[in-house]
Amino acid sequence: MTREAPHWLADFQARFGDVIRTPLDRTSGTLAATTSAYDPRIVTDILDSPTGTGADRLAVYNRQYWFRLFDVAQRAFPLTSRLVGYWVFNDYVARYLRVRLPRGWDLDHVVDGFAAFLEDTFECDDPAKRRAWVEAACIDDAWRTVFRAPEIPPFRPSATHPRRLLEARLVPSPALRIVSEHRPLLELRKCLLHDSSQAFVEMPPLLPRARWWALVRRDHGILQISIEPREAELLVLLGETSVRDALARVERECAPEERALLPAQARDWLARSVQLDFWSGVSSEG
Amino acid sequence: MDRSPDIECLRPAGGLASHALGVGLRAPHYADVFEHEPAVDYFEMISDNFLGAAVTPRRVLARVRARYPVVLHGVGLNLLGHTPLDEEYIDALCRLADDVDAPFVTDHLCWTGARGVTHHDLLPTPYAHDLVEFAAERACHVQRRLGRRFGLENLSSYVAFRSSALTEWDFYSTIVREAGCWSLLDVNNIYVSSQNHGFDPDAYLAAVDFSRVLEVHVAGHTREPSGTLVDTHDHGVAQAVWALYSRAWKRGGPFPTLIEWDAHIPPMTEVLAELAKATEARMVT
Repeated sequence: MTREAPHWLADFQARFGDVIRTPLDRTSGTLAATTSAYDPRIVTDILDSPTGTGADRLAVYNRQYWFRLFDVAQRAFPLTSRLVGYWVFNDYVARYLRVRLPRGWDLDHVVDGFAAFLEDTFECDDPAKRRAWVEAACIDDAWRTVFRAPEIPPFRPSATHPRRLLEARLVPSPALRIVSEHRPLLELRKCLLHDSSQAFVEMPPLLPRARWWALVRRDHGILQISIEPREAELLVLLGETSVRDALARVERECAPEERALLPAQARDWLARSVQLDFWSGVSSEG
Repeated sequence: MDRSPDIECLRPAGGLASHALGVGLRAPHYADVFEHEPAVDYFEMISDNFLGAAVTPRRVLARVRARYPVVLHGVGLNLLGHTPLDEEYIDALCRLADDVDAPFVTDHLCWTGARGVTHHDLLPTPYAHDLVEFAAERACHVQRRLGRRFGLENLSSYVAFRSSALTEWDFYSTIVREAGCWSLLDVNNIYVSSQNHGFDPDAYLAAVDFSRVLEVHVAGHTREPSGTLVDTHDHGVAQAVWALYSRAWKRGGPFPTLIEWDAHIPPMTEVLAELAKATEARMVT
């Protein structure tokens, strides 16, 4: 253990931190530092210089703080930020960071929870567009979650498993996410990754019907696998309850004409999910 | 307090020649490095990008390390922070340094967070006497934990504090000496700070103990409309910085030299062309 800090340091750093986290003003149409809002006790300790007052100098850190975090969020949410437009996107990032201050050394964690925040707070009069923007955020968040997931050996059922498997819950791999889209957002996301223009992107048109995808990390990259809606429903339930219960609940949701096909389909879906490393194990807690 | 480097506990700098030229490796260059294996003596990787559980970055790091020496440069140590050092962070850093057999590890003489909030920036403090021992003890602790040379980088700064009791160079040099650690001397940062605060950059160089310089960084900066220089790492190195580098080399070379280019990153060939200017700068009389 090393010695404690000088007594004044904590207060100084808290005040300095408050200054550099001062929200940037948007009313002029550009992001500007509001130096008048800075703690005067910090400002008066900063020497003026030929190129600016102490407050002007502090503004360099103030702008740097926000622009760095906006950049991190834009990179983590490339689809969402281009669909919404950076001006609006940055506003939501700023709102998010005011309620959830960055903690810990890992910059990647700064926007953990941003997709959920956007879903709760995004303001839009058009419900269809709102849904698209929320879906975009979920898709971006799924990609970053799958990319950053730790490496865990996939679940491979043994000969003794089948009997116990029905009563067990499958544990989803941390490198798996199920997403849905009512517009071709994943396709758009792929295009945007090769487009460095940062320009606003028009909302793509509605699909004839919604699509579901499994995003799963494999050795050579992230696989995007098309899945049936009922398959998606089953996969989500398998991670929440026992296999027996999940199958029963899906069957209850099926129309009569679907039920006849369900056993064979469920077998195929389950087999494929194991083959594609969707699961990391089983749990006795359903 | 005598904290002379405890040589027995330190791994040798191993394999990094004193004239070595290196590049701060960033993601846009990975494919180029794997395909073309450019003629670079070593790469510097940002420690914090490889401390997490994500698999792909670790695989990239392993591939780079298989071909090149790798030194680690961090931004998250919070050495001048008021809270105790994050021992879990240091644990992870030690493991990473061992994994890549890093000749040395560096971070900044700065604070990054307070009261649980991290600002993800390299922030200054007043240069106060009572911070010297505090910082030196923490830097010494980090070096002992790492079991290898630990270098402290001088910051570029945009504010000067009325309450500072020391010059920046005295503050920095004294901490390095008292800690028994090493300097990562960033000459672009010296230049930027000298222009922002009106001091002579050669006065800074005169205070440096070059026998304790592990490595020198060069990078680009930007002049804001106000005239303030900002350490943006998004340009080639300014001529004035190369000139300062020449004088540093003349004073205390040889030392490994690395170029940082973190934004508006050009092709590797352009970065290497800029780095090659170090060789010319070393020959200036």
